Amino acid sequence: MAILSIDKLNKRYEKFHLKDVSFSLDKGYIMGFIGVNGAGKTTTLKSMLNMVHADSGAVRILGKDYTQNEIELKKEIGLMFGDMQYYAKTRVRVVTDVIKRFYPNWDDAVYDDYCKKFNIDQEKKISELSQGMKAKYNLALALSHNASLFILDEPTTGLDPAARDDLLEIFQKLVEDGEKSILFSTHITSDLEKCADYITYIHEGEIVASATKDDFIDTYKIVKGSEDQLETGLRKKLIACKTNQFGFSGLMKTVDYEERDGLTVEEPSLEEIMIFYAKKESAHV
Amino acid sequence: MYNLLYKEFRLAIHPFYYVLPVLIGALMLIPQWIFFLVPLYFCFISAPQIFALYKSNNDLEFSIMMPVRKSDIVKARILSIIILELFQIACSLLFALIHRSLYKIDNFAFDLNAAYFGLVFVMFALYNIILFPMFYKTAFQFGAAVIVSTVAAIGFAFAAEMLVMFNERFRNVVEGKPGPQVIILAAGIVLFVLGAMLTYKISVKSFEKVDV
Repeated sequence: MAILSIDKLNKRYEKFHLKDVSFSLDKGYIMGFIGVNGAGKTTTLKSMLNMVHADSGAVRILGKDYTQNEIELKKEIGLMFGDMQYYAKTRVRVVTDVIKRFYPNWDDAVYDDYCKKFNIDQEKKISELSQGMKAKYNLALALSHNASLFILDEPTTGLDPAARDDLLEIFQKLVEDGEKSILFSTHITSDLEKCADYITYIHEGEIVASATKDDFIDTYKIVKGSEDQLETGLRKKLIACKTNQFGFSGLMKTVDYEERDGLTVEEPSLEEIMIFYAKKESAHV
Repeated sequence: MYNLLYKEFRLAIHPFYYVLPVLIGALMLIPQWIFFLVPLYFCFISAPQIFALYKSNNDLEFSIMMPVRKSDIVKARILSIIILELFQIACSLLFALIHRSLYKIDNFAFDLNAAYFGLVFVMFALYNIILFPMFYKTAFQFGAAVIVSTVAAIGFAFAAEMLVMFNERFRNVVEGKPGPQVIILAAGIVLFVLGAMLTYKISVKSFEKVDV
């Protein structure tokens, strides 16, 4: 069952257009929402949640229309916007005391349990928490009101590798019971290689693909060869390519690939797919 | 809605601004003064400082993430400021009573009487109806809203003080018999309440259009 489905979300700004964004996420899975800076990840999340007004489109969460049931559904969502700092000079205890009143399902025992587990000191000010601690604190808040969908915007940005790994492990444990799902936007693709089940890739405000991680990677091939081979009609089939004195390497869709002599074929990483798409864009500029 | 109001008083407004109305109210003890300056200090100090704190604490982003209606965010905000204004008026009233029992002479400018407080209510109604709708056009830029609303409040206070000093007919009404004074007070309270309702309606309309 889809816990989240987005259908043809549109939002037009003067210099940016979110075009027909559609994807869905099933219960019990982690979806990585990837794209370079400015691709439209945060705009999509904010449009989904009615923080910015979408021009058109529909969002369903837990089978219900989001705009019609916004308050009820927000109680089911654990939200985390990575770079935001709220009431930085206020103690954790006080911020929690305010937040918990908004959630009828709030469970103090669960909160205390997670704070102990994550070592969150209630007497510290928010600004005194490290980036990793802040992320864990936000997770503890979301978990204590029994959220079933976690929408996390760049939760691992700014974390050191150990803290990132720690957080990814928590994400994986969260979805283990098959009841919770995570939509997780990032441009740090190595995180997703570790824990995502699905990948939704946004580029210039448009969804390029939304599929299981393996299917997504299988859609593309990295091909390498000499510059002469590039000029035999291959260039047109490449999404983008890099050339140097030894030849070229480029990204192409698997459906466009035909076996040719002398071409080396490799499976791309998520990062390579993102880099080549960004390169395609800069080639047009 | 109650939770948002709790958030305003527990997180958004610094406790200093609960003490400040008492300190400002004590200015009522100055003998022979322009007493419209007392409520104006709320516009000069409390309101801009509180709005600056909303911005620096990312209060808008915090509030919008909670499971609440946008209209309730506006309602709680306006209500919390109105409660502070009423507290400011209450403190001023207390010190005004002390002033009258201490000095027992008329003031050179507006006297501390029922009509004065009636007009203070009108001044705050005017201040609110400019401040909040202008602020909620963006929900974070407060500079222009604070300046324009404060200038309007100063203009109103200046007119009231000048009229009382230089217009005999006006002075006879506001500083004469208690009857007209009480009517002005009652009318001021009614205008303050109606103004607050209108302020809320216009502000919500603006805020609904804002992309956070």
